[in-house]
Amino acid sequence: MTQYYLISKENWDKILNELLGKYDVYAPVAAEDNQDYRFILQDDIHQIIYNTPKPATPLKIFFLPVKENVVKKSASENPRLIIGSPSCDLAGLDLLDKIYLEEPFVDKFYQQRRENTILVGTSCFSTLEHCHCSSYGIKPFPEKNHDISLSVLDGQVTLQINSDKGKNFFNEINHNNSFGEAEKQELEKIDTLRVSVTKELSKTNQGLPDYSKTGELIKDTKKDIWEKYAKTCVSCGACASICPTCTCFLLIDRPGFEKIRQLDGCQYPGFEQVAAGEDPLEERFVRFRNRYLCKYVWKPEKYESIACTGCGRCIEACIGNINKNELFRELLT
Amino acid sequence: MPVTENIYEPVKAKLTNIIDESPLIKTLVLVPEKEFSFKTGEFIELTLNGIGEAPFTPSSSPLVKDKLEITVMKAGYVTGKIHQLNIGDVVGIRGPFGKGYPLEKFYGKEVLIVGGGCGFAPIRSLLYKLIAEKEKFKKVIFCYGSKTPKDCIYKTLFKELRNIEKFQVLRSVDMADEPWDETIGVVTVLLDQIKIDINNSLAIVCGPPIMMKFGTIRLLEMGYRETDIYLSMEKNMSCGLGKCGHCMLGDYLVCKDGPVFTYNEIKGLPDIWR
Repeated sequence: MTQYYLISKENWDKILNELLGKYDVYAPVAAEDNQDYRFILQDDIHQIIYNTPKPATPLKIFFLPVKENVVKKSASENPRLIIGSPSCDLAGLDLLDKIYLEEPFVDKFYQQRRENTILVGTSCFSTLEHCHCSSYGIKPFPEKNHDISLSVLDGQVTLQINSDKGKNFFNEINHNNSFGEAEKQELEKIDTLRVSVTKELSKTNQGLPDYSKTGELIKDTKKDIWEKYAKTCVSCGACASICPTCTCFLLIDRPGFEKIRQLDGCQYPGFEQVAAGEDPLEERFVRFRNRYLCKYVWKPEKYESIACTGCGRCIEACIGNINKNELFRELLT
Repeated sequence: MPVTENIYEPVKAKLTNIIDESPLIKTLVLVPEKEFSFKTGEFIELTLNGIGEAPFTPSSSPLVKDKLEITVMKAGYVTGKIHQLNIGDVVGIRGPFGKGYPLEKFYGKEVLIVGGGCGFAPIRSLLYKLIAEKEKFKKVIFCYGSKTPKDCIYKTLFKELRNIEKFQVLRSVDMADEPWDETIGVVTVLLDQIKIDINNSLAIVCGPPIMMKFGTIRLLEMGYRETDIYLSMEKNMSCGLGKCGHCMLGDYLVCKDGPVFTYNEIKGLPDIWR
């Protein structure tokens, strides 16, 4: 089921304006030195940027807030429309769905938000310095886990419908028949850009081992290499915070038998410490190694799903200037 | 299956009795508001209102449905607060979680149990189950070690066990600072005193990490197959749901895939004894 529809940018903006009351709309806008999702109000519609690479915030945050009370019943949330999610973030939902929707312990908070959200993915028409999705088999345009994908080119918005939910949403916004069918010419223009970005990614990431090769290399990596790369790690956990697939959390107890689920990360000291004080991840280089083993060896074995989608945010966020791709290139030599 | 619809929400339970087992270990008798059943070896998360939560494998019989017992060693912040509880206090319970002991694999076999310190807690629950179904097992040998005679828990249970047909019980203490007519030495010393048909046997080990390590080494030397050594890997099991990641052990989550593993399953993973 793939259908393509076309509308002028001007009319698309009008549709968004109509949707604001009914949906909580989030879309990326340009910030001082990056781009990030914003809760869209009427004045923001013209500021939405399309077909740019990843927003600073990973998509996971919409489904797993940094902190929430998971015992006290929260008020039901408005349906959400999230525009502009790149393929790296969408691919990451594979793993999140496996962890949080796994029977018999389905996380109702996550489930409700997944069901309540229409995901409008975006094709990346450019790349950022550390983007390397294609090295891990992910294309720079949405292929999964989205309802609609969107491209804006020459004042025209092209929508590709990818799910039943997407189709229902489309029928809702097309009640005046304001959309036309996209012509071959428009689709070819989009394809040309997709091919060009894919080539650019291949070029910039030449020599980077693919996902399974990375896992094999990591398994055999010796202590001295881990120590070398962990040397400037300050255990700040930024890499895990901004990772679209890192979702470990801490349960914090509050009076009334309430529990707060707060995102956590294995880079923080004490993450695995037990009551008597034993801590398998006590040493910094062991914590550092743990994250790589988790992402490239253990999670893929356990969930048959990749746990790094090549977004490169961890490289950008690292206060210690640790570049995992430099590590992987060194392992390959 | 969880007893509440919301996987994070505890069921309230009333503390109806507290038994002092040793200077550092207490047993709590809990009566949950809703019927709460578990299989031996599965664990629960015990919530102290507003304070914290910690995992415990019930030490009571899985055949008893209206109450459960947990045995707690004072080791850290939450366990310290648990030791301050009084009869009548209300706590929370989530679970049961994990996989229990695969008892059907033990049928017709000689079951060797090696326990140390507070590791006796899950073993006691297992022993109740083995006693209830003793016709299904060829023999049960229980080797238990504690630091001193004072640290030996469930003291009255030993006499009972020694009167049960097919059951053999051996005890040791690391140091006898009061009269002691049983073995002195670490628990593995007891393994030299037993007669067991290793080819038709399996071993269950539960205790502090150091005991698990040297217990496993000794069992392997004795000729036990790696697939016949069952270890209780009690890590930092926080959510119990296989989601929070705190108890990851290689590609396993101890709370979901364990807490009982065969040595064969985990032997290649880093830092398993920590």
